Amino acid sequence: MSSNSKASARAQKAAEMRAAQKKRETRRRILTIGGVVVVMALIIGGSIGVSLLNKKEVKAAAAGSSAYGVTIGKKDAPHSVVIYEDFLCPFCRQLESATRSDLESLAADGKVFVEYRPFDLLSQGTGSDYPIRAAGAFSIVLDKSGPEIAKKFHDLLYENQPSEQNPDVVTDADLVALAVKAGASESDVKAAIEAGEGADWVTKATKEAHDSGVSSTPTVLLDGQLFQDGRTIDDIAKNLVAAVD
Amino acid sequence: MSGALAWVGLVARVVTGGVWIVAGALKITEPDASIAAVRAYQLLPSSVAETVGIALPAIELVVGLALVLGVLTRGAALISALLFVAFIIGISSVWARGIEIDCGCFGGGGSKSGAASAYPWEIARDAALLAASLFVAWVRRTRLSLDSLLFDRRSESAPEGAV
Repeated sequence: MSSNSKASARAQKAAEMRAAQKKRETRRRILTIGGVVVVMALIIGGSIGVSLLNKKEVKAAAAGSSAYGVTIGKKDAPHSVVIYEDFLCPFCRQLESATRSDLESLAADGKVFVEYRPFDLLSQGTGSDYPIRAAGAFSIVLDKSGPEIAKKFHDLLYENQPSEQNPDVVTDADLVALAVKAGASESDVKAAIEAGEGADWVTKATKEAHDSGVSSTPTVLLDGQLFQDGRTIDDIAKNLVAAVD
Repeated sequence: MSGALAWVGLVARVVTGGVWIVAGALKITEPDASIAAVRAYQLLPSSVAETVGIALPAIELVVGLALVLGVLTRGAALISALLFVAFIIGISSVWARGIEIDCGCFGGGGSKSGAASAYPWEIARDAALLAASLFVAWVRRTRLSLDSLLFDRRSESAPEGAV
């Protein structure tokens, strides 16, 4: 009887110790997991912090105040839009074709003032100087033939955009032909385009875009604020037009 | 047998984790490119794309570190597998919609003509890494993992399964 109860007391004590041991182990495991999770959270937080510090804010000159663009509409319109673009960028062409006629008519109605700022984003990635040649030709037309013809030329460049894989199918002679089609006089622009005289302007325009924090195209600003409202380019185009209408 | 599997698990862990670390680290310092890369898939609304573009590289880095070190291995492997499923869906979706973009997997991103030819290879790569992740999650115990140091080996249930 007494030896029996001793044995059961021993067994009970052993069970208690096991339970305590188990409890300690569980506690240790929870603390370890907690510690690891905290370290992970710190690394995630730190990485996000590094990303946010490296993030560039787009702070561009107001529409009409850049030396490297062409405007449509009146400066005192209630809304202003700035579009940074590369003549070789397919998304830019998509945005162009989706917004051009609407923005033109809204500008004509005095509702919006739009500035297009071409620069060279893609010559490095594609290994082609087409973005420089096209934007350079644009600057020459802007200089010699004025903004209206330059805007027309800009539109024609998008309508005749070559593919990124083979941009050099559009030659300097083709650029001259498009400029003439836009209304430039051949004698004004031919020699300068063929000599690549616009390259310096493009370098400066590209620097201006870079300094403004523009790192992709198309970059759209509505009333000075980066405009990215939409999932697809067509959404963005639709929302942009709706926002200024 | 399970010893050999544990070694294969180590290889799967280090390869997959290494890919994550490289992919994450390359993007953390280039947040604008990362956001643009997410946006180029044209799947997410703009503000969500921005959050994903910032958060994803950080998550990739941590999942990679966890896999290489073998800490909370199972959880990390499951998150890794989920991410690969998401990437495979993303690439398939742009492929199906005829959008040509750089996948932005290791930095870069954005539209890129002729990119479609790379899609099958990118999907195959992600599928292989998905398989490796699932293997790590399934095998539970792998060689040279921090888990086996951190968590008592004598305890009965697999500690890697803790999270």
